[in-house]
Amino acid sequence: MSLFSLAVSNFKRSVREFSMLVLSLAFSVFIFFNFQNVIYSRAMDVLLEFRKDLIDSVIQAASIVFVVFLFFFIWYATNVFLNQRKKEIGIYIFMGLDNRRISRMYALESAMVGLFALLSGLLLGLLFSKLFQMLLLKLSEISVDVEFSFSLPPVLNTAGMFVIIYGLMILKGCWTLKNSSVLNLLSGAKQKEIGKENKILTVLRIGAGTAALILGYLAALDTEGYQALIRMIQAVVLVILGVYLLYSGLIPAILRVLTKSKNFLYRKERTLWVNNLAFRIRKNYRTYAMVTILMICSVTVIALSIALKQRYDKAANFDRVYTCQVLNYDGTLAGEEILQGIQKENPVEYWNEYTLLSLPSELFHTKYDQVMYVLVPYSQVKEGAKRADLDFPYKELKDNQVVDLFHEILFSMAEVSENDSVEIGEKTYEELDITTTPYLGKIQTYAEMYMVSDKTWEELKNQGTEIYVYNYRLKNPENINASKSYLNNLTKDGMTGVSYTEDTLNEDSYIRVTYSLCLFMFVTLMLAAGSIIFLKIGNENYEDAQRYEILEKIGVSRKALGKAVRNEICFAYYCPFLLMTVTSYFSVKALGNIMREDLIRVNFWSALFVLILFTFICGLSVRRAKRKIFALKKER
Amino acid sequence: MNKILEIRNLSKSYGRRGYQTWVLRDISLDIFQGDFIAVMGPSGAGKTTLLNMLSTLDKPSRGEILLDGENIVEMKNKELSQVRRDKIGFIFQEYNLLDNMTLQDNIALPLSLNGVKTGEILKRVREIAATFGLESHLEKYPYQLSGGQKQRGASARALITNPRILFADEPTGALDSKSGRDLLCCLKGANEAGKATIVMVTHDPYCASYAKQVYFLKDGRIQCCLNRQESRKKFYDEIMTVLASMGGDQE
Repeated sequence: MSLFSLAVSNFKRSVREFSMLVLSLAFSVFIFFNFQNVIYSRAMDVLLEFRKDLIDSVIQAASIVFVVFLFFFIWYATNVFLNQRKKEIGIYIFMGLDNRRISRMYALESAMVGLFALLSGLLLGLLFSKLFQMLLLKLSEISVDVEFSFSLPPVLNTAGMFVIIYGLMILKGCWTLKNSSVLNLLSGAKQKEIGKENKILTVLRIGAGTAALILGYLAALDTEGYQALIRMIQAVVLVILGVYLLYSGLIPAILRVLTKSKNFLYRKERTLWVNNLAFRIRKNYRTYAMVTILMICSVTVIALSIALKQRYDKAANFDRVYTCQVLNYDGTLAGEEILQGIQKENPVEYWNEYTLLSLPSELFHTKYDQVMYVLVPYSQVKEGAKRADLDFPYKELKDNQVVDLFHEILFSMAEVSENDSVEIGEKTYEELDITTTPYLGKIQTYAEMYMVSDKTWEELKNQGTEIYVYNYRLKNPENINASKSYLNNLTKDGMTGVSYTEDTLNEDSYIRVTYSLCLFMFVTLMLAAGSIIFLKIGNENYEDAQRYEILEKIGVSRKALGKAVRNEICFAYYCPFLLMTVTSYFSVKALGNIMREDLIRVNFWSALFVLILFTFICGLSVRRAKRKIFALKKER
Repeated sequence: MNKILEIRNLSKSYGRRGYQTWVLRDISLDIFQGDFIAVMGPSGAGKTTLLNMLSTLDKPSRGEILLDGENIVEMKNKELSQVRRDKIGFIFQEYNLLDNMTLQDNIALPLSLNGVKTGEILKRVREIAATFGLESHLEKYPYQLSGGQKQRGASARALITNPRILFADEPTGALDSKSGRDLLCCLKGANEAGKATIVMVTHDPYCASYAKQVYFLKDGRIQCCLNRQESRKKFYDEIMTVLASMGGDQE
């Protein structure tokens, strides 16, 4: 039998035996292809008017995150595959094949597995691309028709990415095989030695891990100013390092203490599963760490998605207060006149008018000199709020008081000023409140705006420029197009501008696409975390079947065995969950800081959602493991 | 004497009706408290099949097995587990210690799963470890033990619950002669101290000579039975004579 035909026959068997690996690889290809397809497919050109450039950047960023994740995922999956094959490969060595030929055979069959996964992933990706795009747009509340289209770049990008990562893994596998001893190979995945405890190393690991996590958490919470981005990267690296060190130090130490405390161990079925966990932790801690990190990512991503959705809805409501806003610089227009012009085509629900005072930034003694600073008189805001039916809780302002008319923000890493006063010119004003009520609609988004007493406004009038703003809310905002010709006519004098809410909403579509993408990423990350544990448990079931057979022979009931299996599997799912919950508190809090919102509830709900999902997958795992262990015994 | 096991007309066949192969035919046997019985016979004689049925791991095609007066053939899985846990001890040829726990935890396993208090477990583990000469190995994992130590550990695990009867399937099969002898001495000691009633399957006449009674199986039937009268050496010679007269290949 030639090396090639041996590899082919192994591959045929592998497809059946390692269907989980093929499935995982194909799934990775499928997901990555679909993301790439959104960028390159002509079908998505319909999004051009929705700022497709921004959407593409978001997807491109998501793709980079995916590549990193896929790297680890493929690494893990191929490692499992290699470990399962080691024993068989050891037998080939006995039969006279040398390590070089064996590593070539391994490379050949791995390449076949990879090719099969790549082709099926791409094919599935192509078949489902339209569905994926429709789902993405539907979730993003963008209603455009998507047509099926095929383009080559996403196929090439996906194949390139996969070939590079998977190729690296094959090379790594070959290198391992080339340098493995026969004994090592024959003992295969079964790592018998629990290893002697090196106390100093354990203490060092625990110390370093805890320090890395605490520093990571602190770095994550430092979200203000220019250093925030660097801090974020530091936080990610430190948390990954911390999680890894804790799993290699703290968890094994705890398990070791538990196995030594016989008062704890000799109760219920603990001796079965705690011993098993302690025995395997040296082999498994990397997997637990990887799953924990994936889970932290997935919770942060779902929290981001929920927060984005909430924030977008708020911002959209903010913008929707007025359907159109007319800005005039020379005072030649009258609000009533414009109202009549609009009402020829569209009934108006309400309208109001303001005279803004735009002041030069120097007066505000600030480093942000590109920002427009505007004052609005108290009486106008009160009247405007009444007409637009907006909440207005302020009593008459004193002459030294201001209210900051703020807006809904998406992200901000700017330093939050702790000042409760504002300096304008030589005078200091007490900042009574910061409000996000959209008294002036989306103009509030573009300018730093303060409500001041009428007297203060009059006093400062000479130092700035007046801008007249007329805001209109239509009874049927969708019909704004009918009034556009009239409104656009107003702008011909060069001193007037009109702004429409729908334009802003379309421009902000990328936010909706981002949160849809976050949802997809969440699903993918969760599936990955789940399937890694699934692969691990499936792998261990073969070893355990033998152990459980002995136990059943010596009279341990199936009920007790079932409980031991359940507890061990629960540890595999809930231990990463626990560490994820602690870490996600900090990552979501950091997210909340830059979104200027308390996301603790979002954090709670997303963690709860992950818990429910994991409990479900855990239940499936337990069922599958029991079936596998007890069925394997029957076969013997 | 107290009868522990009563075997009546035990038969076992494999294959479908019309194509059956009978492995055991009409075996009847009584086992009393304090017995140390060895079952010998050539390959395919049905030794292991008999042991598997007596120890509840397999079900006979016909016949009854009464353990303390209860017919274990008619018991359901749950009851069988209970019988195995409370009344039966096992020693397997391939040790079957769990590789993921220390020897101490292995020996303590049946007691801890039975809900015995930790203090009591530790006391009994120490006692039985002393009987089998394992005191200094309790903290070790099976991979750190020799074959003999493993098998003595497995025996200690089997006896720690004070079972009514102990079944041993080729217990010295994987051991060198010294380790085999040590193990047999331990088992004999336990039997003589009144702690264990033992049924042992073996192909080794030397091993069988430690028993008080040897049954010879051939073609699924009991051919003859030898009772030990005098020294072990003499008994060994008698066993050899019977084997020679039975002919056939020894396993």
